[in-house]
Amino acid sequence: MNLTYNQVFKDPEISKALVARIREKNTRPLRLMEVCGTHTMAIFRYGIRSVLPETITLLSGPGCPVCVIAQKDIDAYVMLARRPDVILTTFGDLMKVPGSVSSLAGEKAKGADVRMVYSIFDALAIAKENPDKAVVFCAVGFETTIPTIAGAVLTAQTQGIDNFSIYSANKLTPPALAALMKTAGVEIDGFILPGHVAVITGLDAFYPIFEKYRIPSVVTGFEPMDILNAVLKLVEQNESKIPRLVNAYPRAVADAGNPKARAIMDQVFETADALWRGIGHIPDSGMVLRESFYKFDAAKKFELSMPDTREPAGCDCGRILMGLKRPDQCRLYKKNCTPMHPVGPCMVSSEGACAAFYKYSG
Amino acid sequence: MNKKDTILLDHGAGGKVSHAMFSELILPLFDNELLAKQNDGAVFEVPPGRMAFSTDSYTVDPLFFPGGDIGELAVNGTVNDVAMCGAIPLYISVGLIIEEGMQVVDLKRILQSMARAAQKADVRIVTGDTKVVPRGKVDKIFINTSGIGSIPTGVHVSGDGAQPGDKVIVSGTIADHGVTILSEREGLKFDSDVKSDSAPLNHMVKGMLESGYPVHVLRDPTRGGLGTTLNEIAGQSTVGIRLFEDRLPVRGPVRGICELLGFDPLYLANEGKLIAIVPGADADNVLDIIRRDAFGKDAVIIGEVTEQDPGRVVLETFIGGTRIVEMLTGEQLPRIC
Repeated sequence: MNLTYNQVFKDPEISKALVARIREKNTRPLRLMEVCGTHTMAIFRYGIRSVLPETITLLSGPGCPVCVIAQKDIDAYVMLARRPDVILTTFGDLMKVPGSVSSLAGEKAKGADVRMVYSIFDALAIAKENPDKAVVFCAVGFETTIPTIAGAVLTAQTQGIDNFSIYSANKLTPPALAALMKTAGVEIDGFILPGHVAVITGLDAFYPIFEKYRIPSVVTGFEPMDILNAVLKLVEQNESKIPRLVNAYPRAVADAGNPKARAIMDQVFETADALWRGIGHIPDSGMVLRESFYKFDAAKKFELSMPDTREPAGCDCGRILMGLKRPDQCRLYKKNCTPMHPVGPCMVSSEGACAAFYKYSG
Repeated sequence: MNKKDTILLDHGAGGKVSHAMFSELILPLFDNELLAKQNDGAVFEVPPGRMAFSTDSYTVDPLFFPGGDIGELAVNGTVNDVAMCGAIPLYISVGLIIEEGMQVVDLKRILQSMARAAQKADVRIVTGDTKVVPRGKVDKIFINTSGIGSIPTGVHVSGDGAQPGDKVIVSGTIADHGVTILSEREGLKFDSDVKSDSAPLNHMVKGMLESGYPVHVLRDPTRGGLGTTLNEIAGQSTVGIRLFEDRLPVRGPVRGICELLGFDPLYLANEGKLIAIVPGADADNVLDIIRRDAFGKDAVIIGEVTEQDPGRVVLETFIGGTRIVEMLTGEQLPRIC
């Protein structure tokens, strides 16, 4: 793998030319939403807001899996971590998200066996090494992550790793966009659609929403040039008043996506209603294990006595995720809620709108 | 001591076994007359003028990693901390806290590495202490080192010395150590040659100080990385610091691994790099001096000190945008996607 390949897409000259074109073409105020948390982070990190005209507002959408995780799911993870027979495995950014009573980092400090992994297959290896323990993986992801989780479940089945299970809080992107568009007060002039998700879903998954709402939409990658190019295309579509759904990330995204990955996903998971933080229940937006895989479903395997779910009072994560508020318009921002003492999940994940805003805007 | 032996609680009990470990293992390696006296402390003459004194503890996991080990780190780290005070490091103390059951062969390897590092840095390990604690009470070995050094007359280096118009120099590529440790710790197999940059910087500092060019600030950006250290300086000196992203030296593989895992090289540890803040007019000359040192070949000017934005570090990005570089708030956590 050539690790410097991405440098090509950071070219300062081309980036500056794109900025000049955006400034030249843009004549009206525009509210553009980047759906994906990785986009949010890249936008802050490369200072993209600071080079765009003031008329263009970039909003962070509901595409950071940690930010949209429901309080009750965090609570379930905490309860699982507290069980002495469980080794809980998780991706790093979930560690500090506060649940109703505690966080995984808090439980780990008290002695719970919570382990950070980089891949679900590490969790599978831990399960093999610890046959007398139940190894549970906190399955939190979008289309990007779900096929790998499905692959791991299939591996567990083939190899008979019965002490392995997942607790699914997986979610799908298109239903969230549909729900967003139905919410009163949401005004969006264009979507910067998630490139990594589209690698799996393809462009096709976004057509139904596009056809219904006719919002200019561009799938793009995560380098400065990718993002600026998407903004330019959205500006052009708004100026010409001809909305289109465009694939501006053809080096990674095929229109039909990755059918093989989707097939594995569908073999293992089925859609279900899911609870999104601050947004509420969205029909068919979650992915839970099919009945034939129940023995790998921690939600079925363990009886958890759940605490009363308490959403943090005053936290505006939900409204921020829908583009209805900016992080600095939340009354907790920088006062009660900081990366050191996060109240809402948008302040925890490095890709959360509030954390990125805090880190890069000062 | 036999190579196949393991460390027992007896080795730290102060009796015969302890003495044998000192005289057979430690003394021959750290060989010097001050240590050989075996008094409760080292007694030595001090040069006239001011002294610098620093201490640090090392708890790195894994103990051995590409480019170094805990022993080398423990010597270089304290040597560098003393040097960053504008001092010439002279003497080092070593406190070892060892977990019962550690392999003697590993301990010996660490001690050998400390001896080598001390020799390279031209400092003497003159006093020390060894404790052995029951299994599970420490993670294999923890090492504390303290160091003392003399400050040449006329040298005034301090974190509050940065002035508008100064330039910011970094002595080489950033984030090498942080990425190496992360990759090793997590067992991530990257087909790359990343290794720790652990190195003594005192000779480089001596060269700068002897040149007579004024040096306002010296710091080694270890934990928290360049971003955190520059924030500390901006705060202490009540100035702004403006960095240029296209000048930040990051090795290709390090940049690639950071992108893959979602880490920012600005916040990853360095163990052989320094930041020098010097008057703008002298910056090129100081840069030449740093580049002449074996560990300063990739040194570059990465930014400047400004009157604007006091207490803040502002980065001009590749594309000409700007963003604030905040202090690191906690451990960086690998992201989900």
